[in-house]
Amino acid sequence: MNGITRSPLVQGLLLLAPALIVYGIFAFYPMLDVVKLSFMKWNGLTPTMQFVGLDNFRDIFTIDTVFWGALRNTVIWTVLSLLVPPFIGFVLALALNQRLWGRVALRAIFYLPVIIAPIAVATIWRWMYDPFFGLFNQLLAGWGLANLALDWLGDRKIALYSIFAGSVWQTAGFSMVLFLAGLQNVSQTLVEAARIDGAGRWSIFRYVTLPALRPSITVVLILSFINSLKAFDIVYGTTGGGPAQSTQMLAMWSYTQALQLGNFGNGSAISVVLLIVTIAIVIPYLRWSLRQEEKTR
Amino acid sequence: MHRTAFWAGAVGLAALMGASSLAHAQEIRFWTLTFDNDAVGKAYQTIISDFEKANPGVTIKIEQRSTDEHKAALRVAGTSDQAPDVYFMWAGLGLGGEFVKSGLAADMSKYYDQYKWNDRFIPPVLAFSKQYPGGTFGVPLNFHGETLYYNKALFAKAGITAPPTTWAELDADADKLVASGVAPIAFGGTVNWHVMRMMDAILEATCGAEKNDGLMSMKLDWSKEDCATKAFQEFHTWTSKYFLKPFMGIDNNQAFNLFLQGRSAMALEGDWFIGQLKGAGANTDDYGTFQIPTGTGRLYGFGEYNYISTTSKNADVAAKFLDYLESDAVQQANLGIFGALSVNKNVKYDNIDALTKQVLDIFGSAKGLYVNGDQAFPLTETTEYWRIINDVASDNLDPAQAAGQMQTFIAAHPAG
Repeated sequence: MNGITRSPLVQGLLLLAPALIVYGIFAFYPMLDVVKLSFMKWNGLTPTMQFVGLDNFRDIFTIDTVFWGALRNTVIWTVLSLLVPPFIGFVLALALNQRLWGRVALRAIFYLPVIIAPIAVATIWRWMYDPFFGLFNQLLAGWGLANLALDWLGDRKIALYSIFAGSVWQTAGFSMVLFLAGLQNVSQTLVEAARIDGAGRWSIFRYVTLPALRPSITVVLILSFINSLKAFDIVYGTTGGGPAQSTQMLAMWSYTQALQLGNFGNGSAISVVLLIVTIAIVIPYLRWSLRQEEKTR
Repeated sequence: MHRTAFWAGAVGLAALMGASSLAHAQEIRFWTLTFDNDAVGKAYQTIISDFEKANPGVTIKIEQRSTDEHKAALRVAGTSDQAPDVYFMWAGLGLGGEFVKSGLAADMSKYYDQYKWNDRFIPPVLAFSKQYPGGTFGVPLNFHGETLYYNKALFAKAGITAPPTTWAELDADADKLVASGVAPIAFGGTVNWHVMRMMDAILEATCGAEKNDGLMSMKLDWSKEDCATKAFQEFHTWTSKYFLKPFMGIDNNQAFNLFLQGRSAMALEGDWFIGQLKGAGANTDDYGTFQIPTGTGRLYGFGEYNYISTTSKNADVAAKFLDYLESDAVQQANLGIFGALSVNKNVKYDNIDALTKQVLDIFGSAKGLYVNGDQAFPLTETTEYWRIINDVASDNLDPAQAAGQMQTFIAAHPAG
């Protein structure tokens, strides 16, 4: 081994190179290509593209009748995704971190929906929501509450939230596992010390457990945020964005514009908006979170 | 001597292997839609098997996808070397037209001459192949006409003695069905094109043939044609009074099951519906069908084609396969499986059931054709048309505003 290859920098770069090459080809290049496409007019079939400057962005902001509704839905979905599944996952993790009988089996049961393909989850929930033969309306009818039966996926007032319920069922287990991993790292010495100092359960949770879980919370929130912005499969498989585009999401509208309507320029412009929103929120949050973590050390 | 024999054998084997690999090179990749009943799948299996036996070395590899996935896959692979040799697509300007205009479909003029296809196909469906400049594109596969199917027992229960012949009679019959406790018609709202059929029919009835064509080709201003607004109002009447509810959260298959169970008295479907009824074990004698009483006498329908890709390296073999698929013998043997009507005009219609005969009579007496909205409009306008229809259907848009919204969108997309 010569001097150059013994250098930690070179060794680091050599180890990183394969991953960087794969990332560059399959993630970074497509991202750049989408940005380029957002300035083009192209139907995906003709050999040439036409440069149109910012026209695609003007179109999606001004004449696209679906974009703003899709943006609103994406914001609602994101806010709910940051609150509901992490909260349920957190509560489940706390409960299943106790010495309960059958907790290993329960952890597996709660995690099970995570490993099911989202499109299969969509199919399961679509059938449960069937207004005529679905589980929910049948249960309501069985309990003598047929008048409360709803068109879960066909009523625009509730369709988005009906889909979201399916998403919670699938994603809460993922948050639970990350929180459980975090809970394993809570120092038992600190917990014992706090207990000896007379701290109650709430105080131990508030001043020992919660600060120790900060990295887990950061990871869960960032992943929830990114995944919520990308919400696609479950919406596609349940309502396809309907009724009347009322459950349309930005990621799905981008796909629809590009691959179904042949407006690759508009579809790419929507993706670029999504990318900017993601970067604008994730990076400052990550930096703030890291600073907070440094402070607590 | 032994050595010579060995080398001769080796060379012979290599030649055979070479011939074999050449034969494998003649694989025809055929992309089509997922079949809507088992009979179609079995028919294709037999057709492909027979063709492969008659043409040693040729293999037909069929790939099926649902409607939206098929369109997306074609768009992704269309201009690459991954494009199929043969692909299914609707014949109208809105769907098939886009791929033809973009150069994905090969000009098949020479095959039309070679196989005398101009003499083989029925004229209305053949006309779709000649609608683009620069050649003849695609080969007719199906011609589907859509009519109103009805449950005879439910019509009788409501006191309806004969199918309606005018739109006013259709409205009156719908009222009778409601009074008898039966929903007049079932649709599935999750697939936008299903509910759209009702709006298409109402536009034809309200505006007449000429204005409907003008609106669908976007040559007329939707906001200035009173009939367009009246059509949306009539459509809203149907969705609020006559559709089996709820309908926005179910798809066309669920609507079919509800019709089959007698939850609704009518269904607006194409001639494939007879195959679906048979596939579900229903007795077709329990059902009748009638022309949508728009008053124009035109048939509501569309054509389906198979196209050869410009990138196909086996276009001659692909054309030979399509010729076989549409041959007199194959079409006669599979009559009623792909649709009530064959696109091959040499097919004889003997021993057909009463429902199929009704459909054929309607086809035969039609005075022209108006196509489905998603065949008439370009894709972007189709999506907006669906959004507006669904908004009206779900009481989220005043029908009086609907035509104006449609025109606003059309005006904002001048290139179409």
